[in-house]
Amino acid sequence: MRFLDHMFERSTRLVAARTSRRSALARLGTLLVGGSLLPLLPIDRVARAAEAGKSGDPGDPTACDYWRYCAIDGYLCTCCGGTINTCPPGAEPSAVTWVGTCRNPADGKDYIIAYNDCCGKGACNRCLCNRNESDEPMYRPFANNDINWCLGAKHMSYNCTVARISGVAK
Amino acid sequence: MPRFLLASLLALVAAPALAAGYTPQVNYMLNCMGCHLPDGAGSKPNDTPRMKDFVGYFLKVPGGRQYLIQVPGSSQSRLDDADLAALMNYIIEEIGGPSRPADFVPYTAAEVTRYRAEKLMDVKGTRARLIRELQALGIEEAP
Repeated sequence: MRFLDHMFERSTRLVAARTSRRSALARLGTLLVGGSLLPLLPIDRVARAAEAGKSGDPGDPTACDYWRYCAIDGYLCTCCGGTINTCPPGAEPSAVTWVGTCRNPADGKDYIIAYNDCCGKGACNRCLCNRNESDEPMYRPFANNDINWCLGAKHMSYNCTVARISGVAK
Repeated sequence: MPRFLLASLLALVAAPALAAGYTPQVNYMLNCMGCHLPDGAGSKPNDTPRMKDFVGYFLKVPGGRQYLIQVPGSSQSRLDDADLAALMNYIIEEIGGPSRPADFVPYTAAEVTRYRAEKLMDVKGTRARLIRELQALGIEEAP
């Protein structure tokens, strides 16, 4: 205990001897001004929009109410060992897919989202999400998302679904 | 998610193209890209035909011009006639590559209205006939 006392006393005296209140104020000022200027630096927000869970792409990609899932019908790959853009290990993305648009609450723009199914593994069975905005009945098959898009993959078993941004709808 | 398995021959994919006035490029992404893929290469395992560097050849044979509008993916899409005309012109110009005829006359909305009113009953048969006629001209279907 005495050892600790000595150590802290020595380090406190050292700080007191070497710094002044004025220098502490100067540093605090730098921190405040610098900290407030940092968000103004030119950051590539477009590139960041491709990653999930960032300021340009708000929300939790493992939750069904995440904005990119507005027209999804399936298990979320983010809950199944994959990511918002990639299939879980051992599953391959279907070539053909269902495409829709969702509005990004961060910038109010409509993004084109490709809901590629991941195929070749058994159903993930986690995070079922069925939102179906703009989905149409089965008698309009091109506008219906109940279709198993694994039908053209090497293995037709359906595992989960990703939500990739393909572009901005304008 | 899978409740139904459906072979989607010639299928264009679903598009919540609610807002009219999208550019043809965006309409391509919303209505075609899902099955025909972003560059129009198509997907053989899904029976989705190749459009890239090929689709313009259909304009060389009788009935081909109507066929491109009457295939279910075109005629049954949610696009109105003007947007479908603009989209097909985009496909011929941008996806068709060298298959675009030198004397290509762009589709008009009125023309699309006329073709759309006529239902194509035998899609596969019509396509096979057009492909045979192309073969007679020495044009082979791209793999």
